[in-house]
Amino acid sequence: MNTTIMLFLVQDGITNGAIYALLGLALVLVFAVTRVILIPQGEFVTYGALTYASLAAGQMPGTAKLALALGIGAFAFDLFVARKALHGRLILRSVLANVVLPAIVLALTIYFAAQKPPVAICIALSLVIVAMIGLYLYRIAFQPLAHTSVLVLLIASVGVHLALQGLGLLFFGAEGQRGPAVLSGAFTAGALRFTGQSITVYAITVAFIVGLWLFFGLTLYGKALRATAVNRLGARLAGIRTTLSGQIAFLLASVIGALSGIMIVPITTLYYDSGFLIGLKGFVAAIIGGLVSYPLTAVAALVVGIVEAFSSFYASNYKEVIVFMLLIPVLLLRSLAAPAVEEEKD
Amino acid sequence: MSALLSVTDAHVAYGKVEAVRSVSLEVGANQIVTIVGANGAGKTTLLSAIMGILPLKGRVAFAGQDLSRLDIEDRVAMGLGLVPEHRELFVTMNVEDNLELGAFRIERSKAKASMERVYTLFPRLKERRKQFAGTLSGGEQQMLAMGRALMGEPKLLMLDEPSLGLAPIIVADIFRIVTELRASGVSVLLVEQNAQAALKIADQAYVMELGEFVLSGKASDIAANERVAASYLGFQHEGSTGL
Repeated sequence: MNTTIMLFLVQDGITNGAIYALLGLALVLVFAVTRVILIPQGEFVTYGALTYASLAAGQMPGTAKLALALGIGAFAFDLFVARKALHGRLILRSVLANVVLPAIVLALTIYFAAQKPPVAICIALSLVIVAMIGLYLYRIAFQPLAHTSVLVLLIASVGVHLALQGLGLLFFGAEGQRGPAVLSGAFTAGALRFTGQSITVYAITVAFIVGLWLFFGLTLYGKALRATAVNRLGARLAGIRTTLSGQIAFLLASVIGALSGIMIVPITTLYYDSGFLIGLKGFVAAIIGGLVSYPLTAVAALVVGIVEAFSSFYASNYKEVIVFMLLIPVLLLRSLAAPAVEEEKD
Repeated sequence: MSALLSVTDAHVAYGKVEAVRSVSLEVGANQIVTIVGANGAGKTTLLSAIMGILPLKGRVAFAGQDLSRLDIEDRVAMGLGLVPEHRELFVTMNVEDNLELGAFRIERSKAKASMERVYTLFPRLKERRKQFAGTLSGGEQQMLAMGRALMGEPKLLMLDEPSLGLAPIIVADIFRIVTELRASGVSVLLVEQNAQAALKIADQAYVMELGEFVLSGKASDIAANERVAASYLGFQHEGSTGL
């Protein structure tokens, strides 16, 4: 093997690894705050990517309608839960957030889809649509189960994943799509060629990680999210609503997922079901980080990306197998290092 | 004047086991009220239910408002605070962040002043403000738990076994601060196994046994009661077994 190929593979691995890092961080965040293992994270990726690609191709994405439908569902849940103590302000707030907002976005999507909008508008619409889907899914599928065990939440999570994947087939069809590059052009440095798209991936990943770090370290809401993750009862006694923390976590996860998708889809053709494997690789990184450590997850994600790049070069048929095999020694080590624990204490 | 907190005919059950049976109590403004009793009498269960952590059958009113439809967070926002037995701190966050989060429902501008007040009450916390809560000593953790609850500007602070496992000198400190709180207009509902210390500073007292209140009245009268003295204050009278 010569150095050039190696450099290419490392570069490729880092580009992919950066995306796995974002997804892994989102998984750790959601798990720490809500105890949900977010299997549908991959669907946020495909929904973001394919919504973006559809819009850029001048097609109307079905996800905008799904957001409205889920929003109406979330509104119905809000009404049902508050049925004994309904008051005007609560209803108004819920209507605005769950019905009016997705309706406006749907109208905008219909308007813009007809006229092949510029890239910036495609990105903005895709992010908002997927963010709303994430938020309403939390309201409908996870918030009512918030007090149950990790296993029940996991089953709900798998259910949501399957439902979203089926809907993805309905919305986008079985054919893959590619989207336009966010930043076109390229330059070479030595043997390496950097495309605008890969630079975008690095820049956005770094910006997001720094942004999250500032959010968690400096803002009151970020600290509240951490507090909920550290001690749920303590957070409630401080007046921090578990549901608010859950909403923020899901909002961040869906935005991160959609953003990852928008960054990948100009590089790779994505299908309605591609998200699952991409999400799983983020999950591998999160597991290596023990579902608690953000820095370890980010580093593990880069390793996953690089291992994937090298194995697709040397043994492309086995590349997924090799990536997932990374888990076995990690799980072995962790099970040896950690004492046996009771089912869960909360 | 009506009571700040009034609990009427409260029952709390774990499944079919009733841990608290038909309990009624009142806490007035600027009062320290204590509930004393042995381990397992249902004191912690009662406080948890008043806070909304456990479901309660019966009536709980705070500042004239019925609490039954309100969850924990709403009760906090109304001015009801609980320092739980296990403190429930954010152990991997520093002291200052713990305190700041205690004022989550308070206007930002007021939170700064609250923090200064807490630091005046507990100078030790100020010294350790950049230290992780999990690295504090037991006494400091208790102070932090109280400080965090005070950051929410409660009208009534419920303390669950604040002296548990702490050195006597720190216990004295904490009880002194409880009386200071009363002077500054915060009512306190104090659950204690250390009945002697609790009865000394309290205005009213209830004695709890096996989920029920068996005695209630002015704290000084309760302290003078022979049965209480025998069971909870450690004075051996003839024929009594003590506890």
